[in-house]
Amino acid sequence: MKNTLRNIFHSPKFVIGFIIFFGLLAFTLIYPFFVAADPLDMVGQGNFFKPGTYVSVQDTVDAKYYTLNIQAKSSNLGDHIEEKDKQDMRDWLLNYGEVSQEELDAADDNALVVLWLEHYDEKAKQKGLLASKKKAYVRLNKEIVKLASDADLIIAVENEDGELEESKSVDSKQYVNTKDIANQRKLVLGTDNFGRDVLTELVQATKVSLKIGLIAGTVATLIGLMLGLLSGYIGGLFDNIIIFITNLFTVIPSFVLLILITYSVGQNARGVTLIAAVIGLTSWTWTCRSVRSQVISLRNRDHVNLSKLSGHSMIRIVLTDILPYVASYVVMAFILQISSGILAEAQLSMLGLGPSTTSTATLGQMMNWATMYSAHLNGSWWAYFPVVLVITLIAFSLNLMNTGLDQVFNPQLRD
Amino acid sequence: MKKRTMRLIAALASAAMVASSFGIGAFAAEGDGSTPRNETLYFAGQQWGTINDWNPMSANSNNAMGIQQKDSTRTLIYETLFMYNLLDNELYPLLGTEWAWDDEATMASMTVKLNPDAHWSDGTPLTAADVVATFDYNVKCNSAYGVEMTSFITSMEAVDDATVKINSVVGDDGVAVNPLMIKQMLQKMYIMQKAYLEKVEERAGSPEDMKLDKMDDLVASGPYMPYYDDDQKVVFIRDENYWGQAESMWGSLPVPKYIAHTIYEGNSNAQVAFEAGEVDVAQVFMTDIQKLWEEKELPITTYIDEEPYNLASTIPTCFFNVEVPGLDRVEVRKAIAMATDFEQIRSSAMSNQSPSFKDYPRSMMNPSDPEQALFDHDALKDLQWEGGDIEGAKALLDEAGIVDTDGDGIREVDGQNLHFKAECPSGWTDWNASLEIVAAAGKEIGIEIETYFPEASVYTDDYTTGNFEITMSSPTGASITNPFYRCKQFLYGPFADLEINYSGNYGHYRNAEADEILDKLATETDEAKLKEYYTRLNEIYLTDVPSFGLMYRPDMFYEVNETVWTNYPMKDDGSNIPPTDCTDGYGIAALYQLELVEG
Repeated sequence: MKNTLRNIFHSPKFVIGFIIFFGLLAFTLIYPFFVAADPLDMVGQGNFFKPGTYVSVQDTVDAKYYTLNIQAKSSNLGDHIEEKDKQDMRDWLLNYGEVSQEELDAADDNALVVLWLEHYDEKAKQKGLLASKKKAYVRLNKEIVKLASDADLIIAVENEDGELEESKSVDSKQYVNTKDIANQRKLVLGTDNFGRDVLTELVQATKVSLKIGLIAGTVATLIGLMLGLLSGYIGGLFDNIIIFITNLFTVIPSFVLLILITYSVGQNARGVTLIAAVIGLTSWTWTCRSVRSQVISLRNRDHVNLSKLSGHSMIRIVLTDILPYVASYVVMAFILQISSGILAEAQLSMLGLGPSTTSTATLGQMMNWATMYSAHLNGSWWAYFPVVLVITLIAFSLNLMNTGLDQVFNPQLRD
Repeated sequence: MKKRTMRLIAALASAAMVASSFGIGAFAAEGDGSTPRNETLYFAGQQWGTINDWNPMSANSNNAMGIQQKDSTRTLIYETLFMYNLLDNELYPLLGTEWAWDDEATMASMTVKLNPDAHWSDGTPLTAADVVATFDYNVKCNSAYGVEMTSFITSMEAVDDATVKINSVVGDDGVAVNPLMIKQMLQKMYIMQKAYLEKVEERAGSPEDMKLDKMDDLVASGPYMPYYDDDQKVVFIRDENYWGQAESMWGSLPVPKYIAHTIYEGNSNAQVAFEAGEVDVAQVFMTDIQKLWEEKELPITTYIDEEPYNLASTIPTCFFNVEVPGLDRVEVRKAIAMATDFEQIRSSAMSNQSPSFKDYPRSMMNPSDPEQALFDHDALKDLQWEGGDIEGAKALLDEAGIVDTDGDGIREVDGQNLHFKAECPSGWTDWNASLEIVAAAGKEIGIEIETYFPEASVYTDDYTTGNFEITMSSPTGASITNPFYRCKQFLYGPFADLEINYSGNYGHYRNAEADEILDKLATETDEAKLKEYYTRLNEIYLTDVPSFGLMYRPDMFYEVNETVWTNYPMKDDGSNIPPTDCTDGYGIAALYQLELVEG
């Protein structure tokens, strides 16, 4: 046993797979100690806030100010406007602003801004200009006006009479230290379509998916192993019946069966455990068939016959003389079952047949909502890519572990 | 000889195969129906399947692109008497030039004048006899709208070729029972040709079977005719003889020669095509639409440049089935409504494309100025709730004695756990997300709400037969009959008696006072009285909470890509053309002002 373990851990493939898998598992277990927030809490009002640290605006206003002699970015106007926008400004001024080409040619960036502020009028007749372009100019103008103003920002509070009273004025050299700001939230992976913190959700989803994988894998392997052992060893009519049932289950596409069962139990009953059990119940057939054929080849070996002659009970023979020979295969099958269980849940949830959105987060649910809110179309990669990555890593690490084991156990593959 | 025959057969067979591989729809024009890009206006988000017929009386038509009789009726192919403009709530002349009640007091009959220039696509003049025949055949063949019309119109008569008299259904007092619906008919009933209807009746055998006729050989009066359709797209072609180019109507033909709608798999595909400039006008919900112009800098715009981007004209609503134990308690209904976070729905489920309840406190009215002016806001102030008020909702339930006695975290009424199924069709993204937010609110206050997203047909069956606990539905948007009809959809008791109820009040709420007010409202024209009635109705609505609005939403999204066409109607451009996707109601006027983008 010790020797086998040592062999296993000498297989680089297995070790890499093992590290990735347990790294993920450890992360999901440790993360909640640092971030205690409810993963289903809708923190963001809006879709897909981008990753970053969010600090309270009110706190920055109230925080202690430090004066730093750093030139603020907006102080040089020309540098801050993009080339494309400058060209757009020139086009507008020429076509609708009654500014001559010579004037424009002579103008440097700052002069251009001055010309713009002088001549731009959003209500001007802009014949032939696309509505979308017209609106883009309005937005550009707002930006330029903001950039061009170097006046101090005044913060005012409403007094009892409803009038505004200046409480502070802020110039461009004043800074706050982010450590002074009490209210901030780090959204490492931004938010999803409901405004939920993606990373926190992802951690919970990974945990749930691993749980589903483990339960599904265990159920499938146990059923497959048991039926396989019995039908292979007993043979005869019993074997025929079992293999008939197994074939039946093999022929029916298990995913269709899975959809039908989960749909019929209704959403409320569709907890994590039930989904996992159903996945397990529909995916045991291959384990059963393989175990059975191995057992058939084993049952006439000498040591088995010897046990039979010695009068050992069937259970004892199966457990001590046959099981150890198929154990390595079963462990590998188990690992693959975990991986396919996780994928099955992801597929189910993508169809909206997973556990309910309000009860728990799962990887498939996260993908489902990200697709429904077309995160892939509007560049919100953080809502789906980490999920895909986690699913891939889990499947990849389990498969690596499996091939690693195969190399150790399969004499034909041994170096 | 024999060999030659064989060869001939083979050639014929392969020719047949080639022919059948081109999708041959009803209108297989010029091969695959492709049209020059700069003469075609492309749409997305209206037609989701292969067109099955061209029959406005059909009971199961899916021809959304061609036939759409609703608050603002689509008049690309068939035309109505008038066009509705939701911006000013007025009717604009189309086939009809003017309409008037013969007697303002009783509204017992109406006279409509027809445009003498109007003619059919086959060149024959469109006369009063056609209008009368349309009504008669709709009634005779029991079309859905025909049946509805008989509840407010007894008959139509042709006074002369250009004059139609419409007789109202009147009550015992001699006053029309539902004059608003007659006005609505002016912009809803598609006028069909008498001769053609007779032909269809003859080939169908019986009036009832006319509903099954495909009408592939249709005769219509609109600016476009069917050109090509298959499972990939549908294309209309401009009728160069369209009567509307007369000075008495538009004075010109619509600008695009072709109208085309590609049939997309879903919203995402439509959005990709739209961003690529393959679609000009889209009626599709897009998340974070502002990113398309702010970040991707595409020549895309919507009716309004800032939030909520579109004109909201409907209130998707959560209907409670008040006959379900638990939901028969007003405290439970109100608690769910109070706990629901509407700001979250607005900002995330609707992606900020909806005005806030903070700006337009909840009522049965649209967030439009004329409708908002119809009731007394101050009177409703104390009945309002903000939403997201978990503590308030809990207190309300506690006070009513609806508490969790067995410690499972779920409150009970009469020993039964409060557990409800909230239903809306799968794939209706913003609705699905909204119900999830309602469910999350329920979880907070100890009411278990399970979301259920079946196929649309199952959902429709469920809500029309009252077989639901909580369902979502959109009442009618901006129309000539509203807000009157919308209030009816929320509160009117007699709807609950219908065996199959498409009309409204799906949750079987009953309130005698509301019924009485609604009956009076139908014929009321005095403004002070109207305001009093509407205020009282809204009071009832906010007190009894038979349903609650989840958000304000546009009836149609209207997004345009100015890669090929420009000069679409925009807010405050002075055109007074509503953002109804250049196809519906007075919105079709947009087709006459479009221009090609230069260069």
